[in-house]
This record gives sequence, C-alpha cells and structure tokens, in this order.
Amino acid sequence: MDRPQTDNQIMLEVKEGKVEKLAILFEKHHVRLFNFFLRLTGNRGSSEDLVQDVFYRILKYRTTYHGRSKFTVWMYQIARNAHIDQLRKQKKDIPLEDQWEEAASPDPTPDEEVEHGQEVALMRQALSRLPLKKREILVLSRYQNMKYREIAELLGCHIGTVKTYVHRAVKDLGQIYLELSRETVS
Amino acid sequence: MRCQDIQEKFPDYLTGDIDAKTRKAVQSHIADCSTCREELESLSSIWAKLGVLPEERPSEDLRTRFYSMLEDEKQEIEFQRAPRGFRKSFSGWLEGWWPRRPAFQFSVALLLLAVGLTAGFFLNSRGQAPQELAQLRQEVQNMNQMLTVSLLDQQSPSERIRGVNLSYGMEKPDPQVLSRLLRTLNSDPNVNVRLAAVDALYLFRDNKMVREGFVASLSQQSSPLVQVALIDLMVDIRERQAIDALKVLIQDEELTPEVKQRAEQSIEQLSY
Repeated sequence: MDRPQTDNQIMLEVKEGKVEKLAILFEKHHVRLFNFFLRLTGNRGSSEDLVQDVFYRILKYRTTYHGRSKFTVWMYQIARNAHIDQLRKQKKDIPLEDQWEEAASPDPTPDEEVEHGQEVALMRQALSRLPLKKREILVLSRYQNMKYREIAELLGCHIGTVKTYVHRAVKDLGQIYLELSRETVS
Repeated sequence: MRCQDIQEKFPDYLTGDIDAKTRKAVQSHIADCSTCREELESLSSIWAKLGVLPEERPSEDLRTRFYSMLEDEKQEIEFQRAPRGFRKSFSGWLEGWWPRRPAFQFSVALLLLAVGLTAGFFLNSRGQAPQELAQLRQEVQNMNQMLTVSLLDQQSPSERIRGVNLSYGMEKPDPQVLSRLLRTLNSDPNVNVRLAAVDALYLFRDNKMVREGFVASLSQQSSPLVQVALIDLMVDIRERQAIDALKVLIQDEELTPEVKQRAEQSIEQLSY
C-alpha cells in the first residue's frame, strides 16, 4: 500500500480534477525537460518558456490522457509539439522541414567555458551543429533516459529506425567534434 | 555473424540495454574484426564524452510561474464546480422524493393537493396564522444572514462568492451583514469576490452606510476592474459625495490610463 504512485497514476488523478497533484510531476520532470529544450534550442530563456508551455498544455489537455503509454512518452509528445509550434512562430517564412535540418544557435556563456574547460564548450558546439532530428533522438536516448522502444513510440516509427539514427548521430557528432577540435588547435 | 549484424547491435551496446548473449557475440566479433572494433571504440568514446555536458538548472522564475498557473487553474475549477454541485444536489434531493412508478406519482400529486387545500383552509380560518408565517420568515432571514457571514470567512473564493450571492435574498439589510460585505469589498484578496461584492451591495444602495462605504472604498482598490466597477456605480446611483474622492483618485500615479480617463469622465457626469 505504501508503494509510491507511478507517474501514470498521478496523471490520471490530475485528469480526474486533482490538478494540484501536477506539482509532483512538475517537481520530478521540469529540470530534465528544461535540459531537453536547452540541448535542442541552445537558449535558456526560450527553454524555460517551453517548459511552462508544456505544463500548461498538460493541464489544458489533461482529459485526453488515457494512460495507455508511459507518462513521459506523452509528456515528450507534448514537448515536441510545443517546440515545433515555437519554431513555426519564430520563422514563419522558412518551411518547417528546412528548420528541422537547421543547427541550433547556442549562447555559450564565457564563464562556463572557463569553469568547465574547453571540452564542454566544444561538445556543446558540436551538438548544436548536428541536424535537429538526429540531435533530438540522440538527446532523448543519451540524456532523457528514454528507451529506443519509447522513442519509437514517441516518433511513431520503427525501433530499427531509431537505432539507425542513434548510430549515425553519434558517428556524425564524432566527426564534427574532431573537426572542431582541429580548428581550435590550429 | 556478419559485420552488419554486429554493428546493428552497437546502439544497444552504448546504452547498456543489451542481453548477455548478444553482448558476448559482439565482444567475440570485435576481438577478430578490427574495422568493427575501431567503429565501436569511436562510438563509445563520443557517447562517454557527451557526459561532460552538465545538467543545468532553470531559474527560480520557472517554478513561480508554474505554481501561479496551477493556482489559477484550481480557482477556475472551484469556481465552475460550486454552483453546479449545488444545483445537482438539490435536484437529486427532489428526485429522491419523486416515485418512479406512474401510479405512485399520481398518489403523491393527490396528496400534495390535499395538503395544500387543508393548509389553505386553516390559514384562512385562523387569524394568528399569518403571524406565525412572519415569524418563520424572520427565522429563515436570520439563518441566511448567519450563513452569509460564515461563508464570507471561508478560504475558498468560490465559497465566498456564494456567501456574497446569498445576501441578495435579504429583505431588510442587516447592519452586520452589510458591514461584513463592505469589508469583503475592501480587503478580499480575490478580484472576483470583490466584484461580486460590488454587485451585491448595489442592491442596498439606498442605505447610508453602503453609500458612504462605496465612496471610502474608492481609495482602497488597486485592481482596475474593481475601480472601474465602483466608478460606474457612483455615476449610476448619482453619488455626488464621490466627486471629491474621485478627484483624489485621479492624482494617484499608479492609476492605469483607462481608469483615470473613466474617473475624469465620471466627475464630469456627476457634476451636472
């Protein structure tokens, strides 16, 4: 009886009208979600806006939650939509498919670079040069603790496709990283 | 296994989400195949390097925004729920009295008719009955007033609005209830409750205490919504005493331009 509630159980209670329970899910997931957006957009301010937007949408669409898939899969679905809507709003004239391939614009803070060494800055820059789709899948599997099966469910594709993407993303990232470190040395 | 089959397992190898048998197959393959070994080594090294990126913390502002959004949503839900719940329980209570079978429904109707006729007969024939009725009415009034005051002290805004609305039923304004309503108008933390209090007090606009309370309240409001509601009300009841208070109000530097404009207009309207 004392077992802690799962995210799914909590979200079902939120759906039934106990909206205050959403605070538990917020406390548990907002930092990781913030980092997800930060690695996609490279911008702290818009990442915070996006996290707020995600929890706003969760509240607004709570009645559509069925609990069939894991809560985090549902949450990242909402997160992706929020991100796509933001891209659309920012650059109305650029087709979405092109934006999807675009690199993020990170704003590295000089203090951090000194603090954590050049490696962090290099990796951040390399990641930002990876096309958005590869970057997203890589971030989901490497930092967001999502299984390939869950990512496949989230993206609506085959698990084999996800693995292929991860493989290529890591390989490309290695290439970019190598080039960047050569640039800095010379 | 062929190189391609082995390389397909690399993503699982990276996350560590791989069964022992497959892991062994990969390891024995790369012991002999230098191409696959180099590929896996470079993938693993980048995968590990990704770990240098620290997890960052959002600003405290994010949390503040989330909780204020949640609070708004809670109030919204309570607000929608309160009157509906009340209606539902009342109709449920009525339904409980109403039999399902038509034959019984007919008898209940007959019974009610009989009760009505008998009561009418007695009320007409006995002189003191109206007095008893008046007493009963007074008791209901008193109960309403007590309930109003106690609801106004509730934590939930929707309960307090119920309390405000209950005061509509008062026939004779009770000074205790009126002063409690005025206090709500001046100091309730929720704008919706304060607005409801403006509407409720409007009904007792002929009462001297209420009129004076309105004028005094002008300087105490900070919400433009309530300010405008009060200003409109002054014009509506043609409260000339308010002119001085309005003149003071427009000197307030924190006043929004809309409210200021409305206040200036109303001074003009009240002056002639």
